[in-house]
Amino acid sequence: MGSLDPPSNSQGGKALIHDDDDENHRAASDVRSELSPAANDSAGTPTENDSSKRRKSGVLPLEVGTRVMCRWRDGKYHPVKVIERRKMSSGEPNDYEYYVHYTEFNRRLDEWVKLEQLDLDSVETVVDEKVEDKVTSLKMTRHQKRKIDEIHVEGHEELDAASLREHEEFTKVKNIATIELGRYEIETWYFSPFPPEYNDCTKLYFCEFCLSFMKRKEQLQRHMKKCDLKHPPGDEIYRSGTLSMFEVDGKKNKVYGQNLCYLAKLFLDHKTLYYDVDLFLFYVLCECDDRGCHMVGYFSKEKHSEESYNLACILTLPPYQRKGYGKFLIAFSNVMLLYEIAYELSKKEGKVGTPERPLSDLGLLSYRGYWTRVLLDILKKHKGNISIKELSDMTAIKAEDILSTLQSLELIQYRKGQHVICADPKVLDRHLKAAGRGGLEVDVSKLIWTPYKEQG
Amino acid sequence: MSRLSFRPRPLDIHKKLPIVKSFKDFEDDEAPTSTRNSQILRLAAEADNEVHHVPSKKLAAEIPTPQFVVVDTYERDYSRSFCQPTSYIRARGARAELGEFVEYDLDNEDEDWLEEFNTDKKILTPEKFEALLFKLEVLDHKARERAGVIIPTLGSPIPVLLQLDAAVESLQTQAVQYAVLESVYGYWKEKRERWQKPILRRLQPPPPVNDTNPYNVFRPREKAHRLHTRRMQRRENNVQSFEKLRQVTAIVVPMGGLYECSIRHPHAISNNLDEDEDEEENRH
Repeated sequence: MGSLDPPSNSQGGKALIHDDDDENHRAASDVRSELSPAANDSAGTPTENDSSKRRKSGVLPLEVGTRVMCRWRDGKYHPVKVIERRKMSSGEPNDYEYYVHYTEFNRRLDEWVKLEQLDLDSVETVVDEKVEDKVTSLKMTRHQKRKIDEIHVEGHEELDAASLREHEEFTKVKNIATIELGRYEIETWYFSPFPPEYNDCTKLYFCEFCLSFMKRKEQLQRHMKKCDLKHPPGDEIYRSGTLSMFEVDGKKNKVYGQNLCYLAKLFLDHKTLYYDVDLFLFYVLCECDDRGCHMVGYFSKEKHSEESYNLACILTLPPYQRKGYGKFLIAFSNVMLLYEIAYELSKKEGKVGTPERPLSDLGLLSYRGYWTRVLLDILKKHKGNISIKELSDMTAIKAEDILSTLQSLELIQYRKGQHVICADPKVLDRHLKAAGRGGLEVDVSKLIWTPYKEQG
Repeated sequence: MSRLSFRPRPLDIHKKLPIVKSFKDFEDDEAPTSTRNSQILRLAAEADNEVHHVPSKKLAAEIPTPQFVVVDTYERDYSRSFCQPTSYIRARGARAELGEFVEYDLDNEDEDWLEEFNTDKKILTPEKFEALLFKLEVLDHKARERAGVIIPTLGSPIPVLLQLDAAVESLQTQAVQYAVLESVYGYWKEKRERWQKPILRRLQPPPPVNDTNPYNVFRPREKAHRLHTRRMQRRENNVQSFEKLRQVTAIVVPMGGLYECSIRHPHAISNNLDEDEDEEENRH
């Protein structure tokens, strides 16, 4: 079969999905009806393939905002939305690559795809009719509703619409797609604001100890010959078996702190690097062997937090996830908080901690698991009545977090004119099992650390 | 089953709540309300028993995440030369302060220029070139410091103050021919003029606080006016601090298998930690 020329009157652009941000949703015309299947091409009788091809090429290149089905790494087709596009160097008129967002998944799966991964028959033409949203009973367009549903699915609830839009605007396309860090080459999840000199590359090579980043492998290899750091700079404050925790002061190790933030941002969505690292402490968790102390995760903490956040960012690097390090980091940050309370004595009674919001989907899961384990352990053993405040004093968990945890587990009921806490041992055990036991323990006898202390 | 239509009062976090181990506790025949409630609770419990609630586990398994592979040159690039000391590692000063370490790493354009420079003959090794660029940066920074033109934030282009002859004099010990030094200096100066800021990251001033460009990061934080200052108390390896640590661990009690901790008798914490000593006997 001969090659098919694209239609001379290119209607592809107009026919496709309108800009999401456009308040006035236009009804998009139906592409298929405009390209009449009865039209003959130069080859003679139109076959199904020909008209289908003409139909498909009519929609190219796809506009930003298009919704279409795309073949993902699992071999199956998933709905995506086109976020960005770029022309390929071959110069063919319709030769574009598309940066897509898989609407079922978090933005971390966003990636550049080739045209052949897209099912052009599924390009959506939508008449944006009004539907009723069941949750809010508001009438809105299908487009608006879908946007809200997606926001809800991806765990962005805590950001208001304006900040979310602003955040997504400048972070919409990942700049660095892959990094090499020590033993692993890792696909990144999100945009990170590296200095402008790094805008032209998609892969970075990190020194796994001082976290310097470079554009070429040779540069890293040269760096490794001179870099004598074999662990994070800073004090080792915990060591149990092969696990070590290092405390790094952002003021004393500024470049390291900044490097760590650049690196972490690749895997954290709603965090920003707006302010400098001076006012932060970084707690870097490492597995140690004869090559050094290798970072597996970290959390950061403001030296002084106005909102009683005891943790700013928390991350387990992808190759080390699902091994219990995240739970360890949370438990560790809480032990530190308890130490702070103990050191500060009665002056700070009622001091609590909570992680900085917004929490990522994985972060919220980990925290819910942690809070569930701590609270239900107490409820199983406690005799008599207990108030939420008492639970908070014992655990340094914020009352709101305790409430939301118990409510999400449906353990707070209201009967006989009062609230009660349900502590049926079978129910509690089921929740504890779901929250996940095990993971790495924090052995407090191996923690040698002094918290910041008030002076004067 | 009729639908519960009452609205519970908001929960008071200070109020002690009964802990109900079994729904039987709340079953009584006094009022129809309670019977209805307990019926609903029982139904809810039955439903609970039927539906295996593992929301968190299910969600975790369903969250797909990007992937990673092992780097095949890792074992060659990273040597097995780390000897972990028996005591916990203490920080030494930042490498920059110790002065010996070459903080600068050649970037792409440096490497490309060097390759060109070395076309006919290997005049300069990458390590030497890197060291020279580093020293030029440091020397220029010192020159600007002496001239009093160091700015705290990046407002305007930062010019080069270091002159060639001053550089040559300071770098005499580098054992590099004048011509080579001149070429390197020329390359570095031109790069600085393009970048309009230092090429060594440690010497680049941060963006100003009022810079609204979201791509610029690490602005200095305005220091809030504080009545009290906090300082980091460096752990001393003496009897006193370990005694304090022991007292603290007496209060921070591990629950079960050392995994999560809680504070024992939080209301008993008083000004003097020593008063808790007799409670220690009741610990187990």
